[in-house]
Amino acid sequence: MKLAWLRSLETSHQDCVWACTWVPATDKSPGLLLTGSLDETVKLWNPEDLSLVRTNTGHCLGVVSVAAHPSGKIAASASMDSFVRVFDVESNNTIATLEAPPSEVWQMQFDPRGTTLAVAGGSSASVKLWDTAEWKLVATLSIPRPEGSNSKPSDKGNNKKFVLSVAWSPNGRQLACGSMDGSISVFDVQRAKFLHHLDGHTMPVRSLAYSPLDPRVLVSGSDDERIHMYDAEGKTLFSSMSGHSSWVLSVDVSPDGAAIASGSSDRTVKLWDPKMRAAVQTMTNHTDQVWGVKFEGGVRGCLLASVSDDKSISLYNYS
Amino acid sequence: MENIFDIVPSSNGKTKYLTTADDDAGEGARKNTLTPALRDCRREQKPNFESMACVYIPVQNSEEEVRVALDQLPRDATDILDILKAEQAPLDLWLIIAREYFKQGKVEQFRQILEEGSSPEIDEYYADVRYERIAILNALGAYFSYLGKIETKQKEKEDHFILATKYYNKASRIDMHEPSTWVGKGQLLLAKGDVDQAFSAFKIVLDGDRDNVPALLGHACVEFNRGKYSSSLEMYKRVLQIYPECPAAVRLGIGLCRYKLGQFERAKQAFERVLQLDPENVEALVALGIVDLQSNEASGIRGAMEKMQRAFDVYPYCATALNYLANHFFFTGQHFLVEQLTETALAATTHGSTRAHSYYNLARSYHSKGDYEKAGLYYMASVKEVNKPQEFILPFYGLGQVQLKLGDFKSSLSNFEKVLEVYPENCETLKAVAHIYLQLNQPTKAHEALKKAVRIDPRDPEAFLDLGELLISTDSGAALDAFKTARNLLKKANEEVSIELLNNIGVIHFERGEFELAQQTFKEALGDGIWVKLIDSEAQSDSFRKVLHQPMDASLAARMYKDMQLFHNLEKNGISVELPWDKITTLSNLARLFEQLHKTETASILYRLILFKFPEYVDAYLRLAAIAKARNNVPLSIELIRDALEVDEKNPDALCMLGDLELKNDDWVKAKDTFRAAKDASNGKDSYATLCLGNWNYFAAVRSEKRAPKLEATHLEKAKELYTKVLVERPANMYAANGAGVVLAEKGQFDIAKELFTQVQEAASGSVFVQMPDVWINLAHVHFAQGNFPLAIKMYQNCLRKFYYNTDSQILLYLARTHYEAEQWQDCKKTLLKAIHLAPSNYTLRFDTGVTLQKFSASTLQKTKRSVDEVRATVAELKNAVRLFSQLSAASNLQIHGFDEKKIETHVGYCKHLLEAAKVHCDAAELEDQQNRHRLELARQAAIREEESRLAEEQKKVKLEKRKQEDELKKVMQQEQHLERIKEHWKSSSGSKRKDRGQEDEEGGQGGERRRRKSSNKKRKRDKKTMDDDQQDYEETNYYQTDNQTNDNDNDDNDNPQDLLAAAGLEDSDADDDTGGAPSSNKGRRIQGWSESEEDEPEKRQPSSSPVRVNSAEMQLSDGE
Repeated sequence: MKLAWLRSLETSHQDCVWACTWVPATDKSPGLLLTGSLDETVKLWNPEDLSLVRTNTGHCLGVVSVAAHPSGKIAASASMDSFVRVFDVESNNTIATLEAPPSEVWQMQFDPRGTTLAVAGGSSASVKLWDTAEWKLVATLSIPRPEGSNSKPSDKGNNKKFVLSVAWSPNGRQLACGSMDGSISVFDVQRAKFLHHLDGHTMPVRSLAYSPLDPRVLVSGSDDERIHMYDAEGKTLFSSMSGHSSWVLSVDVSPDGAAIASGSSDRTVKLWDPKMRAAVQTMTNHTDQVWGVKFEGGVRGCLLASVSDDKSISLYNYS
Repeated sequence: MENIFDIVPSSNGKTKYLTTADDDAGEGARKNTLTPALRDCRREQKPNFESMACVYIPVQNSEEEVRVALDQLPRDATDILDILKAEQAPLDLWLIIAREYFKQGKVEQFRQILEEGSSPEIDEYYADVRYERIAILNALGAYFSYLGKIETKQKEKEDHFILATKYYNKASRIDMHEPSTWVGKGQLLLAKGDVDQAFSAFKIVLDGDRDNVPALLGHACVEFNRGKYSSSLEMYKRVLQIYPECPAAVRLGIGLCRYKLGQFERAKQAFERVLQLDPENVEALVALGIVDLQSNEASGIRGAMEKMQRAFDVYPYCATALNYLANHFFFTGQHFLVEQLTETALAATTHGSTRAHSYYNLARSYHSKGDYEKAGLYYMASVKEVNKPQEFILPFYGLGQVQLKLGDFKSSLSNFEKVLEVYPENCETLKAVAHIYLQLNQPTKAHEALKKAVRIDPRDPEAFLDLGELLISTDSGAALDAFKTARNLLKKANEEVSIELLNNIGVIHFERGEFELAQQTFKEALGDGIWVKLIDSEAQSDSFRKVLHQPMDASLAARMYKDMQLFHNLEKNGISVELPWDKITTLSNLARLFEQLHKTETASILYRLILFKFPEYVDAYLRLAAIAKARNNVPLSIELIRDALEVDEKNPDALCMLGDLELKNDDWVKAKDTFRAAKDASNGKDSYATLCLGNWNYFAAVRSEKRAPKLEATHLEKAKELYTKVLVERPANMYAANGAGVVLAEKGQFDIAKELFTQVQEAASGSVFVQMPDVWINLAHVHFAQGNFPLAIKMYQNCLRKFYYNTDSQILLYLARTHYEAEQWQDCKKTLLKAIHLAPSNYTLRFDTGVTLQKFSASTLQKTKRSVDEVRATVAELKNAVRLFSQLSAASNLQIHGFDEKKIETHVGYCKHLLEAAKVHCDAAELEDQQNRHRLELARQAAIREEESRLAEEQKKVKLEKRKQEDELKKVMQQEQHLERIKEHWKSSSGSKRKDRGQEDEEGGQGGERRRRKSSNKKRKRDKKTMDDDQQDYEETNYYQTDNQTNDNDNDDNDNPQDLLAAAGLEDSDADDDTGGAPSSNKGRRIQGWSESEEDEPEKRQPSSSPVRVNSAEMQLSDGE
């Protein structure tokens, strides 16, 4: 279990890079890296040499999230003005522009089969599900208000459930979302039903990832500097791992399910051994907050990408 | 610490033997000088009387004799005197009888006879018997010399010497050449300590008869006293040659000389020879014993003690022997015997030095039994017997120790200093002195003493330990070196390195930021135990891991830091969970280190382990509470603090922390009570509690949006008072200084505040435990308030990076505000977007972003010269602003945030209006652009025409020119196309909101602008004061709502003037310029706001880190006892 630094691109964007994801390879194109930045652009990169494939413009107020369809043909990017732009990866043609006011848009993820796009809806305390065939809003998974706060409608309890992050289970049946108050909510997607909360974090949960091998294992990263591993079905906390010295902004599980990567405000990328419940490696090549870490799940062996406020992108070999 | 001194008597034992031996040898020698004098008398008589037990007094005028049995002398000397006088007995008989009395210890009778024998009548009657008369006088002289010598009271001593002198002078008058008189005089002078005159007295005799044995002995004694042992030895040897049958005592002198010369073997031989001659010679026995002790071997000491015992058996009143025996029994721990022996010795001798020894032995016995009062008294008695400290220093040392123990530092110090006068290089004493200096708060002197001790004995780990402890607070590097040296010395000596020492080394590493070393040291200190497995996941077996990491129900996870189940689980699985009490401190330090290294979960397990075994260890609760607080888990934190308070309800740290959390919960009244309780609990001595109260007052002063000036002033004043109080008590308290600075800034005294902040900032950079971002922020605020925007920006940025990993959205807001004031719109926007990204649910940031975009657009449009691109950017930003405000407006229906809808609507309306205006501008700009292009085209055509009319040979040139111009054209076309594309984009994104372009002309737009400005001017005239306030309020809504998340609702109360305000606010920077006073007060408010949220946080760290050291110190104290 090891990360080996491959290459970095210093000024990949004009400003902070806030989001990254891997676009799976298609017949025509190899797997690409998709990044979004405060400079209001979305860029596609060839991981071989980190050469720029294309720059997409059109967003306002900073790109906060990017998502790629499992087919590798479609991708989505979202900015702080709450627009989601769905586009054709190859041609950059806009396929759809999504918005569901007054809901903001934070993290997004396509479901493993590619039929649905889940969008974390910020203050609406819900996750919006968009159908990828017709680009229609098909469901809103709302976090139920805590029992006590019903009596006081003016209470800003809703604000605490502000949804930041979202993740699909590998079988596509479950969906988890993380909130500002540190709680994680788990939904049954088919029945569009809220299942339960996973407590343990006490500060915003900015990133969630299911183990690709075990649909029960959910990994979360939070501003409270911890990485938690939950049994999302059994409602139990396996382990709480500390080691980052600031917020954990992003987590991802390796394709073999044996390692967790995390990016943090403390400017590091860490590789964790969930068995040992400890960090086994710390990469210090970034000089500012690391907003995104992502394993490439494809055939290409295994790459890990990280993006940072320092405007750079880094690639590592995971083995 | 103190225990060091307790051990000393034993470790100093060797020295003790030595000095005492030296001293006694001297005393023995002096005694020796006396005996020859008396024996001298005996010698004269010896041949006659050795075999007789009686004397015969011839009866006058007859052949008869009166037989006097010497062992049956009458008790009353008058009887025998009568016979002597009546029969006119020869004077030598008088002397014999007197001597016999003396031998039997009947001193009175002895005196009586001799005094009678030297009376004037006798002189008259026996006028021609010169020698005997002289002998009688000399005997008296010798007697009084002896009395004078042993007398301790100065006056009587002198009286005796005067008497002695009188007798000798009388003897001299009879025959001034009589050698024995001179010898006597010499002895007297010796007794008086007048060695030189004694020498000349003996010399007179020896000049006459170089073989005069008594004079030779006297001379030997003089030489001995002068320290010329070899020449003294020569004299004794000569005596032996001249008079081989001399009493054993002479050989004693030889032995003593040899002893002094360090020829112990030969000294021993001499003493043994004495004993052969006189097996009961106590002095020889004692001397031999001392020589045996000198050997410092077990057998030697045993032999020595046997000899002392024999001496004791022979003569139970030999104080020296008694002292030695007592000394021996002291070391064997038979204190009862020690007391008996020394008491006997005291009764037996009047000799000062010997008494001093006896008292010393007695004192030491009590000392070791812990009876310091009595020990002190006896040490004092011993000291009183000693004339010069050089002669016998030990009681001074002992007295110093006891006084130190009893807390009488000054007296103790003076005693130890006396010891140092004699033995300036005695390490133990230096350490003791250092300790006292430390107690007397003179660290410099303590440092000097310890440094000297270390220099003298660089192998004494204790001295290095002490030195290290002394230096901890002043020079951690030097302290670390000292501790390390101590550790190495202990290791070299194969002695156990104490856990306290390792702990201290670890703590210093920790403080110096050498975390890896600190961790190693702490682990070394802790050794093996359950914690090893808890810390290191690699040391865990799979089964252990399974037990340790049992999945926890997620609903309980929030209360994780109270969970003790894991230890129960371990025990259930047969893994014993043990924690020796002496490891708590170090374990807690290690946990603290893990916190620093952000291995917080490991730290929490260690703290819980401590609490599992020692539920009364308050610090562990507090640290867990701090961890919970850092995770924003306020309920758990409060619960943990309550646990701590259950153990110690008056723990000021716990109370302060509780108050802090209550503040966080916005529980103002409760918080104040708690802080008060904390202050009371520590009798107002805990400056942190006072500080908290100060902060509370400060927050109270600036808390409310609707400010009551009177209340504000009162609170501020109170806050200032409290800060000042802390500063008076602890001038180095940075937090209080910071607070004072804030109050000053609040009052607009920026320069003084700046100076204060700068000083605090300098002081705060140094320790890993002191983290004071507040002071950076405050300093930046002051720069901002003084209009020094670039510096303020730099400072905010540094602070963000240095302390917050760029994660603090509040500081980003300050930064944005500064950019705003500096009219750096793009920076301002980017900063705000970053802040939103960090704090997505903070809608104030979105509002501010909208305002920034609006302001940017407005200011661009007002510019007289602007490019098409600028105008386009303006339009784009205005659209963003409209979208932001619209979203806020929509969200307000859902009560997601607390903004007033109307206010947002006003902004939306204004932005839309601006947008329209901008479109006009845009059109105008584009028109102008087109016209320009048209003009260019005309010019080009004209040029072509011109060129056409030119010569044909220039056609090539023209062609080139043409191509160039065509390129240009192409570029322009491309631009045009691009423009169109963007327009398309606008259409798609905000189609419905767009109104017909060109309805209003440029002037109209500006007119509207002007109108607004007029209206705000009007308002200003009408009521300038409210205007200022309004102005502030506006800014407040822009920027300070975030200070207290809860203030959002308060803002709703300010609604009424908002409509007008919105208008005024659009030109807020202008207004700022106009109303000089307002901005500064604004800035003051800013300062408060910040400190509000941050001030407490770092402070928490301070008390939590300092206990680490305090604890270790405590531990050591308790260890010592």
